[in-house]
Amino acid sequence: MEQREIILKIKENFSKSEVKVFDEKQFSVFADKDDIVRILSFMQMIGFQQLAIISAVDWIDEKKFELVYNLFSYTHIQQVLVKTKIERDNPKIQSVMNLWEVAQMYERDVHEFFGIEFSGNDDMRPLILHNWKDKPPMRKDFDSLKYSNEIYGTFKKSEEV
Amino acid sequence: MSEILTFMGMEDQYKKYELFFGPNHPGMHGNFSYIITVEGHTIKKIDPDAGLLHRGFEKLVEQRLWMQNISLIPRICVPEPDINEAIYSIAVEKLMGVEVPERAQYIRTIILEMARIGAFLFGFGGIGGATGLYTASYWTFADRDYLLDLFEWLTGARIYHMFILPGGVRRDIPNGWLEKLSETVDYLQKRLYEYDRLIYNNPLIVKRLENLGPVTQEDAMKYGITGPNIRATGIKYDTRKAVPYAAYDKIDFEVPVQTAGDGLARAVQKREEFQVSLDIIKKAIQQMPEGSVRAKMPNPLKFRVPKGDVYVKLETAHGEHAYYIVSNGSDKPYRMAVRGGSFTAGLVYAQKALVGMRIEDVALWMATMDICPPDFDR
Repeated sequence: MEQREIILKIKENFSKSEVKVFDEKQFSVFADKDDIVRILSFMQMIGFQQLAIISAVDWIDEKKFELVYNLFSYTHIQQVLVKTKIERDNPKIQSVMNLWEVAQMYERDVHEFFGIEFSGNDDMRPLILHNWKDKPPMRKDFDSLKYSNEIYGTFKKSEEV
Repeated sequence: MSEILTFMGMEDQYKKYELFFGPNHPGMHGNFSYIITVEGHTIKKIDPDAGLLHRGFEKLVEQRLWMQNISLIPRICVPEPDINEAIYSIAVEKLMGVEVPERAQYIRTIILEMARIGAFLFGFGGIGGATGLYTASYWTFADRDYLLDLFEWLTGARIYHMFILPGGVRRDIPNGWLEKLSETVDYLQKRLYEYDRLIYNNPLIVKRLENLGPVTQEDAMKYGITGPNIRATGIKYDTRKAVPYAAYDKIDFEVPVQTAGDGLARAVQKREEFQVSLDIIKKAIQQMPEGSVRAKMPNPLKFRVPKGDVYVKLETAHGEHAYYIVSNGSDKPYRMAVRGGSFTAGLVYAQKALVGMRIEDVALWMATMDICPPDFDR
């Protein structure tokens, strides 16, 4: 299928979604939070076999988290970014690990670094940050310099010591 | 006798053992660990445990200027650092709409292929190390040094080059460098036949690699296995062909495929791609055009990237390495997510594939699947 046909199919089934074309091999679909599992399973059905990455963006000024599901199709050679925004105060979204098993690790990763809850994904043991007590580090309001000063002490120049 | 022992062992509360297959194990690649539950020699359950190597690149990138990041990101992937600069530069160019001169595209292609050959040599050595054939790793590491010498001449650094920048490459090629590169390529071509005799026609290695963790085509697509490993299952897909970057659309090359998908097919696939990389370098040297090597870019300390986001992926020796970069129009990246080539294979697919294997196969499976811990701990 050409990119144009794929976009038409998405528009037919999900009239509320917005599509933005980046170039002939890449486009993004902005969907509603409640639609996300339906639209991803639809994409999987029309031949997007690979879930390349799940990542999150912290839009702190809007008080929103943006989740980006990056899919790739070996049949259509198309890269699609399926995006959705969720509230920053109560970040919660449905897990997609029933569609792609690899989502389990990506969701665990996003949970660890952004503190987003994925309902349906039970294994949220810390993967990288063991014994982490502060707020999730990839959030924009986490100050890494302040954190390291608190934990490891303030850095002094050699003359001051 | 062994059956009786197994029967007696059935009542044993210590029937199952937990084995920490971590950085202390000589077969482990880097600072990563698998917690393996074993029954005798057979693996029953596997639990990946990353985090010993985490350096927080995604956070650090947000605190530095667009140009400063060039010296930071090559450190994400250790065996093949140049791809990081290339992905980052291509992403910035796509967002800014910069056209890169043709000569710079060819120089990028040569650098990326040299890095790829270096990573393949690492991989050949890894297979040798995991099977006890240490001659292979000595030979390949020694040959990789010839490439590092060339890199040092071209860029001034041996491992992290920081040579590919947004807009092109840092400098033009010095006099006599291309001739020396041709000599090195001819030398590596000769050595490849030696590797065939040492590794790929070695009955012991063939016996160990055959039927080691076969991957089916469906699993490869579903679990996000990419690069040479997906081509070893028979899917003829190469990012260099499908979504061309640098000068790959101007260079004629054929993508080899295997069908079996097991450890031997994966190893042979890498050997075939080594040959392809040598051919690409030869053709790039022949076709190298004249001209400038860098497009006009704004002041590197002040330039801003327009608002937008882009996903750029490149073909590497261990799969598809990709960045998702978001810019909010300021002088620093707003967000950069890294997709390591072996993230899914090492963390998710391993939990399925390694069950039922023996302990001694874990290191070899990791070598043939190109599990690279910096991909998880970026």
